[in-house]
Amino acid sequence: MSTWINKDYFNWSVREEIGILSLNNTPENYFETPEFIPLDLLKNFIGTDQLKGMVICGVGRHFSAGAKLDSLYELSADADVLKTKMGRGQDLLSYIENLDIPVIAAIRGICFGGGLELALASHIRICSTNALFAFPEISHGMMPGLGGTWRSLQLSRFPDVLKMILSGDIVNAEEALEMNLVDKITTADPIEEAFLLLKKMTIDKPLKVIHSVMQAMRNSKTLPPDEALKEETRLFCELAADVAKRRNSGSAAGNE
Amino acid sequence: MTTTYTTLSFELNDAIGHLQLSQPPSNEMTLDFFSELAQITNEMRSMSEMKALVISGKGRHFSSGAKLAELIPLAMVGKSGTAALSGNEIENFLDRNNRSFLFFENLEIPVISAIRGVCLGSALEIALFSHFRFCGEDAVFGLPETTFHLIPGIGGISRITSLSGVANALEIILRGNTFPADDALKMNIVDLIVPKREVVQRAIEFVKNLPADYRKEKSRLYLQRYKNEMYCSS
Repeated sequence: MSTWINKDYFNWSVREEIGILSLNNTPENYFETPEFIPLDLLKNFIGTDQLKGMVICGVGRHFSAGAKLDSLYELSADADVLKTKMGRGQDLLSYIENLDIPVIAAIRGICFGGGLELALASHIRICSTNALFAFPEISHGMMPGLGGTWRSLQLSRFPDVLKMILSGDIVNAEEALEMNLVDKITTADPIEEAFLLLKKMTIDKPLKVIHSVMQAMRNSKTLPPDEALKEETRLFCELAADVAKRRNSGSAAGNE
Repeated sequence: MTTTYTTLSFELNDAIGHLQLSQPPSNEMTLDFFSELAQITNEMRSMSEMKALVISGKGRHFSSGAKLAELIPLAMVGKSGTAALSGNEIENFLDRNNRSFLFFENLEIPVISAIRGVCLGSALEIALFSHFRFCGEDAVFGLPETTFHLIPGIGGISRITSLSGVANALEIILRGNTFPADDALKMNIVDLIVPKREVVQRAIEFVKNLPADYRKEKSRLYLQRYKNEMYCSS
């Protein structure tokens, strides 16, 4: 069923252990379907390359204007089809959010609707000074449907989110920073900035350390507090045992 | 108090407890320190007269964190067949430390960390388990564990994530770099920056003025009131 999703809608590349997923449906990089990249394909990309991080960005001037209304209306004709498709979109965003490697959304230009929901599912958002954010769904009698409401409430204050979703108003980079919707604004190319930050965060670090940090952070949101703390300690102990082992064999081979 | 401590000091003045990490200059958190910390938390359980607790470091710094050279050997599993050095040793050690930190977090009286100079690794973790954090303008923070191929292991990851959000927490932990007081304030990791010579004094003044029916769930409200008063009186 998902075979009709053409690879022409995205590019995938790997640079120094960092995966770069570019939405490629220029100029606005619309999603032709909520699952804008087949989940299995993305899993495949990330798994086979032992990546340490991922950048998500858009080809050209914009990040993404989200779902294309025409195709959404087409899907809506059959409620079950729409539900299935939206479910797949949700699964894709949850997969990205729960990845064991850091994911940065690098945002230029327009970041609307589903595009914003994708950015919110990433762990860090870096945008250019000309970036624009909005949930325009309301002007078509709809609302965010891929977790945008929930995820923006994790970052911003309730009144700000309410206003943004109900008004459909466009928020600029400064305002988005103020609202915590983005984490950094850069005058340079956000894709390059995201790549460099991921390099700084992951260079010289074993994959296991990166995975452990991601896991502990995820636990702090999903597990009861005591269990999250226990898990953190358990993960630490595993890593400490590795360090101890390395030091041991190092000193055995070395001077003492 | 009957116990004599060597790595920390504790005083109870005017119903305000003052716990100092006391191995200057860096107040490194040694294995001895962590045992004494567990001991002092036990003693505190019976100090019903204590109405607030201030935690600080002796001298110029809060603390540079745990002493790694002591910690790593605890994790050596099956070293030359010594069963005593099992994998559980470090886990028990960390669990106990975690209990000490949770003790502070769960206290029903206000607990504030007054931070000057460096506050790294487990030292930042202890501060994160306090109800409030005041720091001097010279304070330097960081969780450098991943640069040693470890992670913060006493609850730091979970606490910094809830205070500063996923994006900030992720960058702080994975980069392992240090950051100044201004950044810590912006990221909600400290509550107030005050002149460095006044940090402890201001922390004491702040907790003394908290209401008798103090509840840590209201910490944001208390801080807002205090900042408003500061603003009005300046």
